[in-house]
Amino acid sequence: MNLDYSVILSKLPILLDGCWVTLEISFFSLLLGMIFGIAGALCRISSNPLLTSIAFFYVWIIRGTPVMVQLFILYFGLPQLGIKLSSMTAGILGLAINTGAYITEIIRAGIQAVDKGQMEAALSVGMNYRQAMVRIIGPQATKICIPPLVNQFIMTLKNSSIASLVTITELFRTGEQIIYTTFRSFEVYTIIAVLYLIMNSVFMIIADNLEKRMARQ
Amino acid sequence: MSYIVEMQNVYKSFGAVDVLKDFNLNLQEGEKVVIIGPSGSGKSTVLRCINHLEPIQSGKLYFSGQQIDEKSDLCQLRAQIGMVFQRFNLFPHKTALENVIEAPLVVKGMTRAAAEQNALELLQKVGLSDKTGSYPRELSGGQQQRVAIARALAMNPKIMLFDEPTSALDPELVGEVLLTMKALAEDGMTMVVVTHEMGFAREVSDRVIFMDQGVIVEEGSPTEIFEYPQQERTKSFLKRIRH
Repeated sequence: MNLDYSVILSKLPILLDGCWVTLEISFFSLLLGMIFGIAGALCRISSNPLLTSIAFFYVWIIRGTPVMVQLFILYFGLPQLGIKLSSMTAGILGLAINTGAYITEIIRAGIQAVDKGQMEAALSVGMNYRQAMVRIIGPQATKICIPPLVNQFIMTLKNSSIASLVTITELFRTGEQIIYTTFRSFEVYTIIAVLYLIMNSVFMIIADNLEKRMARQ
Repeated sequence: MSYIVEMQNVYKSFGAVDVLKDFNLNLQEGEKVVIIGPSGSGKSTVLRCINHLEPIQSGKLYFSGQQIDEKSDLCQLRAQIGMVFQRFNLFPHKTALENVIEAPLVVKGMTRAAAEQNALELLQKVGLSDKTGSYPRELSGGQQQRVAIARALAMNPKIMLFDEPTSALDPELVGEVLLTMKALAEDGMTMVVVTHEMGFAREVSDRVIFMDQGVIVEEGSPTEIFEYPQQERTKSFLKRIRH
């Protein structure tokens, strides 16, 4: 066996740059994905059949197709229709659309898991639908949604490695480039795995604390 | 003679099931009405139609002389009608005090100071001055229901609807809630109470309504209904619940 991590350690600054890009993609796609998810969930439970079916088709199509195909359509497919997105835009947008569909389902389930009596009680004291959603249902649904959302956030961070295929030089692609010059596949891939693990662990610790704090409330 | 609530020929169904059929009810201000009847007779639905938690399919509904339909300002209607639920439905993420001030703050736009002062008085009235900072899960069922009553009263309603307010309580906790309701009745509140508590009905109500299968079978004073029921269905119902 002939493992040599010293070569890779010298490349650590480049890998950390990759981590930064990964975090950037993940952050913006999750931010956007949350917006899509909240909007999607509200459409899904609305009484307007048009909104309900739009949200339904969104979730259906995205959940039923691979995230890689979705990204490729955005980045390699759309230029044929005259829409050219930068790799970063396509990557973030694609991941956001993808994670947004799952978040739609998470939030919808969270809202529907709140006891029906809560909405009735809120309405019975004279609140309108919006006030009831924001002040009564929302906070309770948030608490229910946090564990599955944490899962989804972790999934998205890992899925961001697929953005390497649309030429974004994030952590995974940075690693591949190092392999081209060093031929140290095992070392590089294990280092990449460790870096993903660290990023996710930090996030999990933060989420865990948040969850505990909310449970005390 | 104007009524606070008028229901005229109200019809309501859930799918193929007729819940209320050609239902009529007039309530005078200050009146205390108890509705009794077997489960599934439509008692709760009557209450839920009054504050429009359930839309009616046909018939007319008036509140304080004004007709209520889909286009009415339902928030304004409901702000004037207090409702107490079988399962309390307190807001679990808010303390007792926060539960009571929520609607005055959000719906009425009261200042926090005024809402809190009012809430503290109400919580004292229902005997819970020492529980203002407690969350619902830290309270017994009876205490939760009394907070729920205070929450409804905080909007200063013209009428209070009670939907089986003691049915979800342990037997030893029923008394404290009934006592609170009795005090409210003595203050002159207009009340419609769906309940199985015949003692309460006897003592507090001006009128008892016996419902079955979506219609009023018989109504009258507590003495008329409990001592001298005329209808067979009323007699057999009363016999069943007394055993």
